[in-house]
Formats: sequence, structure tokens, C-alpha cells
Amino acid sequence: MPSSNGLSISNVGKTFRSGGRDIQALENISLELPAGKVGVLLGPSGCGKSTLLRMVAGLENPSEGTITLNGRAVDQPGRDRGMVFQDYTSFPWLSVKDNVAYGLRINSDRSALNEGTVEHFIRAVGLEKFADAYPHQLSGGMRQRVAIARTLANYPELLLMDEPFGALDPETRWQMQDLLLGIVRKERTSVMVVSHDIEEALYLGDVVFFLSRHPGRLKEVIHTDFKSALPPNDREAFLQSEEYRRLELHIRRLMQDEGRDAA
Amino acid sequence: MTAKLSDRATGQALEPVVPTSATPKKRRGYWFDFNQSLPVNQRLILGAVGWVAFFLLWQITAQMDLAPDRLYPGPVAVFDSLKTLFLEQNFLSDVISSITRIVASFVIAVLIALPLGLLMGSFARVDGVLNPLLGAWRYLPAPAFIPLLLMWLGTGNSQKITLLLMGVVFFLVIMLADVTRQTPKVLIETAKTLGGGRRIILWTVLFRHSLPGYVDTCRQMLAVSWTYLVIAEIVAATDGIGAMMMRAKRFVHVDDIMAGIVTIGVLGLLFDVLFRLIYRKCFPYLGRSHS
Ligand SMILES: Nc1ncnc2c1ncn2[C@@H]1O[C@H](COP(=O)(O)OP(=O)(O)OP(=O)(O)O)[C@@H](O)[C@H]1O
Ligand SMILES: [Mg+2]
Repeated sequence: MPSSNGLSISNVGKTFRSGGRDIQALENISLELPAGKVGVLLGPSGCGKSTLLRMVAGLENPSEGTITLNGRAVDQPGRDRGMVFQDYTSFPWLSVKDNVAYGLRINSDRSALNEGTVEHFIRAVGLEKFADAYPHQLSGGMRQRVAIARTLANYPELLLMDEPFGALDPETRWQMQDLLLGIVRKERTSVMVVSHDIEEALYLGDVVFFLSRHPGRLKEVIHTDFKSALPPNDREAFLQSEEYRRLELHIRRLMQDEGRDAA
Repeated sequence: MTAKLSDRATGQALEPVVPTSATPKKRRGYWFDFNQSLPVNQRLILGAVGWVAFFLLWQITAQMDLAPDRLYPGPVAVFDSLKTLFLEQNFLSDVISSITRIVASFVIAVLIALPLGLLMGSFARVDGVLNPLLGAWRYLPAPAFIPLLLMWLGTGNSQKITLLLMGVVFFLVIMLADVTRQTPKVLIETAKTLGGGRRIILWTVLFRHSLPGYVDTCRQMLAVSWTYLVIAEIVAATDGIGAMMMRAKRFVHVDDIMAGIVTIGVLGLLFDVLFRLIYRKCFPYLGRSHS
């Protein structure tokens, strides 16, 4: 019974046809992400995380099952589901400001443009000094912040991110994770992030969906309620908490099982 | 970064490197090294060296009596006749006729090729219909149509402009479609997830991303246009650079013919520079990697 609030994926499967052969990427995935929560898709390479996220975005159609967001069926891309890709996809011909304004402009959202939404999100990702710079003048981490600001400025109901910090160095990565959590808590956006990093998954996620591969199935759903008892924005305390270590070990074992099956 | 590279480029590389303990070891570079980028003034000097050498060689061989002066004049003689052509024989109007033909035919070619190329590069079904058709027309040499065009359109400007158009437009369509097709898929998908419809994505992503490539393609195809211009004006024309050269041939005025060649070369170069300027002015966001 899909709830009408939040993301609901029920019995979704995906089969690719390539070279005359059918490849089943995902089988019978059912999961719920309540509105305002951060969900993480975690799993070994090739288990279908990107495929699932792209289906939620409407960039790919499920072979079976249905996906609904806040009660509406998903069948094509739309403004309600903003996506941040792994490779920093700023439009090279637009300045930072114009990149962030792009979504509002193509939707002719005058009121948001006039209310200073663009400036607000440029400030939120800490790029106010670079508002007039072009993407080629920015580092990878900065370009990814442009992409995040551009997506959020469009006020999506669900923010989708496919390994958004995968190519960044650890220090920048930690900064970006905190930045993301800060903005998301403030704006109360729902988020679905793909990750293959256990620490990142537990740090970002309210719920972690662990997928196994060949074909991709939902193997386990892990809730991280323990974080509410910890001081907020304190990575140190998080990493040293009993619960974190227990879950980290548990997920590591799941990963190792996957590796053994593949071998 | 530029400073570092120029230091290396001007360093005297041919001296043997003698390591001494007293002086700190200075990093030396080679005159010829891979991935060197030269400062602008050095590029200009090197370019001038090539041209000066060419003219010297030309002048020297012309004075060596290998052939009669009448058939192989040196650069000085050619520049003299160029002066005479412009000052006394109204060569400027020939040049203007030629430029008019080039510009008119090229503008028409771009007006036809750009929408077709954009649609073919964007939509597989449009490409599916037009690519086999236009791709094949590309291989029909435009000059083969001259007899037909002469019968249909006579010897006037419309015949020449049509020939130029036919020589360029099919290549242009296919090349502009290729440029469009190179738009990264992820940029299109980004625009989709931001709520963009097909019309908006066509203009704000595919067209906009391809614009620098379009300008560069036009620059290259314009060079091809000049080739067809000479063919068109040699066949049947009363004015134009090519017509002047055919007149000169009748009276064995080799210096005038060479002056015509030089004029075409200079004009081609000017158009090339113009397009490069447009490129640099309009697309600053491409950074320094493109020259
Ligand atoms: N367009 C496609 N055509 C054919 N097969 C595909 C296509 N896209 C994905 N697949 C297959 O589906 C499976 C899942 O791919 P997907 O990219 O979703 O994995 P992933 O979990 O995101 O992996 P990674 O962590 O390496 O990014 C893989 O076996 C892949 O080969
Ligand atoms: Mg992936």
C-alpha cells in the first residue's frame, strides 16, 4: 500500500536488452522513502543503483512495477525530481549565477527569480564570490556545488544524487556531505543518494537501502535512528559511536558476502 | 603557468649542463619539447620567419634565370602588378564581386544547413531520413553540375552562387549534424530533470552547446567555398578574381595571375582570422585550451 506522501517504489524490475540478450539489472524492488528523509542506495558496483535512480528521475522506464512520488505516478522526467549527476554537469556557457537560475528560467518561474532564490542558494553552497565565474574556472568540488544549488533552486520535491561526491578528495567530500545535510535539513527536501561508501551512507542517510547484485535485489533496509541521540554535525562523535561501528561492520560483512558470490 | 613555460622555452638549451655545487641548479628546457606552449610574440616571430624565408626563396629563384621573367616573375614584380591592378584596372570591383558571391552563397548555405543539421543531430528519426540522402549528395562533385547549371541559369550570378552553394551545403549539413550530436547526453538529461521540454532543450542545450563548433565548422567550410569560386569564375564570368586571371592568361600576364592567387590567399586568411576573432569574442567560457 503506497503511502501518498514521499517516494514509493513497488515491485519494480528492469531488464535491459543488449546484443540480443536480456540482462536483468533489477528484480522486484519495493521500498518507501517518507517525505523529508534522506535515503541512501548502497551496494556493490553493478547492482543497479544508478538504474534505479534514473527510473525514479524518469530518465528510464521500469520493465515492471510502479514508482510514485507524493501519490503521482512517475513516467517521465519532471521538475519535481531534480538530479545531480556524478560528473559535474554545469553548463559551460553559463556563469555560476546563470547556471543556478537555469531551472527557474526555463520554467518561467518569475516569482522565484524575483524573490532572490538564485542568490539564496549560491550563498547556501558558499559560492557568492564566484557568482560571475564560468565553470571552467572552478574546481570539481565547486562545480558540484553549482549543480547542487541549481537543482535545489528549482525546488524539487525529491533530490536525486548519483555518487555526487565520488570523485572528490576526502576532505572536500566531508565538507560537501555536511553542506548537503545542512541545506537539506533547512529546506526539508527529500533526498535519495547513491553511494558505495559505507561511512558516507550511514552519515547521510536516515534510511540505507542495501542492494545485492545479479540481479539487483533489495537485501536489507537499515535505519539510522541512533543519530538523533548524537550531537548534530559532529562527525567525530558519529564515527566513535557504538551503533555506527556495529552497523559499519554489519554492512561490511554484507559487502564481503557479495564479493564472495561474485567470485 | 605561462611565465614558467616561456622561461623554459627561451632558456639556452644547447649549452651543456655542468652541475656545480656552488650555483643552484637551474632547470633547463629544450628548444624542441613536447606540449610546449609559446608566448604570443614568439609565435608571431616564428610565423614571420617562415614567410620571409618563402619570399626570399621566391625572389632568389626568380632572379636565377631558370625561366624567362615573363613566365616566372618574382614577388616584387607580382606586388607591382597588384598595385597596377588596383590603381589602374579597377581590380577592386572584381574583388568585391567575388566576395559578394562567396558571402551570398555561404549565408544561404548556412541558413539551409543549420536547421537541418540541428534537427538531424538532435533527433535520430530526422537523421534516419536525411543522412543517407544528403550524405550521398556530398560525393557528387559540384563542378559536374556546371553544364546543367549553365543551361538552367545562364552565365550570371545565380549560376555561380548555386554552384558555390552545391559545393558547400551538403558537407555543411552533415558536419553541423555531427557537431550537434556531440552534445553530452548528461547535459540533456540535466535539463530534462530540471523540467525542460524538448523545444527548450533543443535551443538552450543542444544549439547552445554546439554554437562554438558551428562557428568553427563554418570557418573550415568557407575555405572550401573559395575553391569553388575560382572554378565558377574561370568557367564563364566577366568579373571576379577568377575572370581577371583568365583574361590575364590570354595575354600571358603571369604576374597578374599570381597577383590574383595572392589576393585570394590574403582574402581567405582574412576571413579565417575574422571567424577566429568571433570565436574568441563569443565563447570566452571555453577557456584557454582553444586557440
Ligand atoms: N543502458 C544499458 N544497457 C544495457 N545494460 C545496462 C544499461 N545500463 C545499465 N546496464 C546494466 O545494468 C546493471 C546495473 O548497472 P548500474 O549502472 O545501475 O549499476 P550501479 O550499481 O550504478 O554500478 P556502479 O556502482 O558501478 O555505478 C549492470 O550490469 C549494467 O551492465
Ligand atoms: Mg552507478
